[in-house]
Amino acid sequence: MIAYLTAIAILVGIRALLTLGLNVQWGLTGLVNLGVVAFFAVGAYTSALLAVGGAPLALAWPAGIALAAAGGAAMATIALRLREDYLAIVTLGFAEVLRLFLLNEAWLTRGANGVTAIPRPFHARFAAHYDLFYLLLVLATVALAYAALERLRRSPFGRVLRAIREDETVAAVSGKPVFRFKVQAFALGAGIAGAAGILFAHYLAYVEPNMFLPQESLLVWLALILGGSGNNRGALVGSAVLLGLLEGSRFAKDVIPFLTGVRLAAVQQILVGVVLVVLMIRRPEGLLPETPGSE
Amino acid sequence: MPPIAQYVFNGLVTGGILALPAVAFSLLWRLLRFPNFAVSTYLTVGAYAALALNQSARASIGLAWLGALVVTGVVALVVDRIAFRPLRTRRPFALAIASIGVAFVLENLVRFTWGNDFRSYDVPVTRAMSVAGLLVGRDQLVILAVATALMALAQGFLHRTRLGIAMRATADNPLLAAVKGVPTERVIALATLGGGALAGGAGVFLGLDASIDPLMGGGLIISVFAAVILGGIGSAPGALAGALIVGVMEEVGTLAVPPTYKTAIGFAIIVLVLLVRPTGLAGARA
Repeated sequence: MIAYLTAIAILVGIRALLTLGLNVQWGLTGLVNLGVVAFFAVGAYTSALLAVGGAPLALAWPAGIALAAAGGAAMATIALRLREDYLAIVTLGFAEVLRLFLLNEAWLTRGANGVTAIPRPFHARFAAHYDLFYLLLVLATVALAYAALERLRRSPFGRVLRAIREDETVAAVSGKPVFRFKVQAFALGAGIAGAAGILFAHYLAYVEPNMFLPQESLLVWLALILGGSGNNRGALVGSAVLLGLLEGSRFAKDVIPFLTGVRLAAVQQILVGVVLVVLMIRRPEGLLPETPGSE
Repeated sequence: MPPIAQYVFNGLVTGGILALPAVAFSLLWRLLRFPNFAVSTYLTVGAYAALALNQSARASIGLAWLGALVVTGVVALVVDRIAFRPLRTRRPFALAIASIGVAFVLENLVRFTWGNDFRSYDVPVTRAMSVAGLLVGRDQLVILAVATALMALAQGFLHRTRLGIAMRATADNPLLAAVKGVPTERVIALATLGGGALAGGAGVFLGLDASIDPLMGGGLIISVFAAVILGGIGSAPGALAGALIVGVMEEVGTLAVPPTYKTAIGFAIIVLVLLVRPTGLAGARA
């Protein structure tokens, strides 16, 4: 039971990191990223492939973050030149094409077989209580990201992002280079998603393309809206509540016998979609609303 | 290996199918000012509605197609009332995210009911004809003819009828149109109904041309976007031209890249258009 809870807590932490990343993009800046999972995958695969190829983690991890951030910057630069809603489409398309790439370019990504035997950091040293060690690593990363993002939110940079979200014309008239701020915010969020992917890959020691399906992006959105977008604390709470619900619904199979695997998965996704839409309509501020004017 | 003209022909058929959701998507985007990701899932809804009519109720495929238009139009209208209408005054992209949620719900309702298996309609098997060295299916000709007719109908409606003109006026300037007495919500309802029906009909065509499965519509979303962006948002003829180009490029492209990368071709078109001519072929600034 302790082992199960530790494993769940690690996954909550990784999801929390993803949600914090999306919060920079949507919560603070108002940018729609429908391909969260793509930047997660870029981080996971970059670091995994480098590490399996023999690169030290001190190189593989920063490379994973950098490539995810660069991907984010590229997508934002392409999409945001004319109108903002193109970003939704470009990110969605990027996630789909990236998954095809991971599946088909086996020479680089090992295709559907996935990357196996990804080195687990300090495994020899903490072999006895490895999950516990990893949980601390994940929690430390989340705490670091949270502290940094809280600072950022209150900084002049964060204030400009929020101004852009509320009214970008006003921000532009006040002399802020809106386009550059948006690209930077988007790249930052993508980099954080990449970091989450790295933690994910080196925890499971295995990644394969079907771990990065489009519905994963939707789950990150749900966690953010649930917790309260614009609010880093909300991002953490939303991720924890969401994973609790998802794990809890796995036990529904034991209670309701006529639900087959396919149907159970379908019901779960229907619920995810319904809750997302209902929250958008009924409680867009989430469980923990962003306090207005919090400096 | 078949001649390249065969790929072009097949691409035109795919493009004809793609044109229907592309026009719906494009006009709804211009009218409601958000990309509605549920539109491509309406294809799945239409395809399965026709499947139910065709297999369970033994309706002919023509009748089932008409039924699919009605069912999908009504589904789109209900979705709009429940999910989108309360969000119309909200932050612009709240609607785009809600539409993704709706797409997941619809797709999984289909999956829950029919499962993940590939299915096909109960239709008499006909031999493909050979025309000038090309293999031409009877279904393909019907699809092209009906798609063209529907596009002409949509264009006529938008330019010749009072409601169509009101719709374009609302798309251009909602406030001005409302002041001039255009009933905004009625115009939106009609566009949603019509757009849903177009997409649903396209879903049946897709089911005839390829096969039916829960991902069939959602999987087309990138291609539909590519067509819309290529044509320019809000332009019906643009969406048609864009869809034909995307359809042909995706088919001919399979000569150069594996067929699994069809979606990537659509994505490449999107990126290219955004880099080179972000206003699309029609050039309208949205």
